[in-house]
Amino acid sequence: MIDFFIGLFLASFIVALFSGRLYKLIFWYAFNALTLGIITLLVGAQIDDIALIISGSITLILKAGIIPFILKRSAKRFHLKREITSNIPIQYSILLVPSIIIFTLYLAEPMSSMIGVNSQYIAISISSFFLALILMIEHKNIAPKIIAFLMMENALFLLGTTATYGMPMFIELGIFIDVMIAIVIINLLFKEEAIR
Amino acid sequence: MILYILTILLLLLIAPLLTGLIKSIKMFLLYKRPVSIFQPYANFNKLLVKELVISHESSAITHLAPWMILSPLLVTLLFLPPIFQGAYYIGFVDAFTIIGLLSLSTFFLMLLGLDGGNAFGGMGSSREAFIASLVEPAMVLTIFSVGLIGKNLGVGNVALNLSTHFPVEHAASFLFAGLSFFILLLAENGRLPIDNPETHLELTMVHEAMILDISGLYLAIIEMASSLKFVIFSSLFVTLFIPYGLNLIAPLALLVFVGKLILVSMVVALIEVNGAKLRLFKVPNLLGIAIVFAFLSLITFYLLGV
Repeated sequence: MIDFFIGLFLASFIVALFSGRLYKLIFWYAFNALTLGIITLLVGAQIDDIALIISGSITLILKAGIIPFILKRSAKRFHLKREITSNIPIQYSILLVPSIIIFTLYLAEPMSSMIGVNSQYIAISISSFFLALILMIEHKNIAPKIIAFLMMENALFLLGTTATYGMPMFIELGIFIDVMIAIVIINLLFKEEAIR
Repeated sequence: MILYILTILLLLLIAPLLTGLIKSIKMFLLYKRPVSIFQPYANFNKLLVKELVISHESSAITHLAPWMILSPLLVTLLFLPPIFQGAYYIGFVDAFTIIGLLSLSTFFLMLLGLDGGNAFGGMGSSREAFIASLVEPAMVLTIFSVGLIGKNLGVGNVALNLSTHFPVEHAASFLFAGLSFFILLLAENGRLPIDNPETHLELTMVHEAMILDISGLYLAIIEMASSLKFVIFSSLFVTLFIPYGLNLIAPLALLVFVGKLILVSMVVALIEVNGAKLRLFKVPNLLGIAIVFAFLSLITFYLLGV
């Protein structure tokens, strides 16, 4: 079951990479966070860890609910450009995405002997990290860059959840607060772009 | 064995019905008065009695091509997966044979377009070649991953394996392969995001451009072939990617199978109503997504669920 949702997690990155509309991108971010929350809850239920269940629920509420809502509302309010064009043509992305996934597969192989548990998930986390990086590189506008930043954070969260069964609770709460602060700053940036 | 032949006959008979169903659903959703779903049969009858007009420039290919378009599809019908448990099926045929036969049919369709000697035919053929060449890699990757999930390369065996024991651990890989195959279904049959089957606008048509100057019996054959192609693709889709209902008793399984085919045509009609046609140079993007999903399905097969 966890495997299925991790597959969906990776797929939502790829669909986000190919989408050309801002609201669709926000939707795919919400979907991504939704799968991440479900993965965290499932892992938490599997190893019976209350901290993971709490952070999974926070992920579901905050990242899949509140942040996409705020992003969409502020994008509407500041009349951001709804069409987002990528610098990298899609033909190159088609070659880039599989090569990144295969590259990270080999990258994660030596690590798997060290960590042992769920070694194949590490490859997916690192590759989704790279995919978010590409999403950040390929767009010029501020809004897709910010969504890419948030997705990168999701990828790190997945790495923490699956590789080490969750970071300490304090760190995760700290990250959540960081993301909230980031959202506040993002709103200021949106305003900047709207003025320009 | 008798059931096997009856199934093939059923598929042959149901093929125009699905085309008519898609058309009538679309018209109903657009607030038009829908045509009867049996309209393709009436069209077929009408075309059979019409006169055969062939342009002066055309060679023997025009007389040969319609039969060569239809016959690979008829052979493919024999190789389709069984639709209920215990039915006879040809097990040794893998999906590559089916792809090859479908490509043979497409090849003769392109030749037919070129042979007429009009400008539209050549344009349609070049577009069809462009789309077909992009469909192929995604198709091969999808079939590999379905073969891996079903632990066999033969289409019939894969369908039986998936229906008796569905590998839940490979659900993600299965889903991506299904998505990729559905995009290919739309692309190969000339449905809306790739090609609009209803207009004869010179900028948009692909399939219609190739058969623009064909009439009478040959047109009837080609229309039959295109609806057969849809039925082949959708029955492959429902038996491989919705593998439920195979183990019911024979009449019920047949009913479920027809229901799934109708479901697929309804989904196609819904997509056609809700979407616009892609510009021709954006078609590679959609097919590229199909390729990436097929690839992702292979990768997730190895990565997840081991």
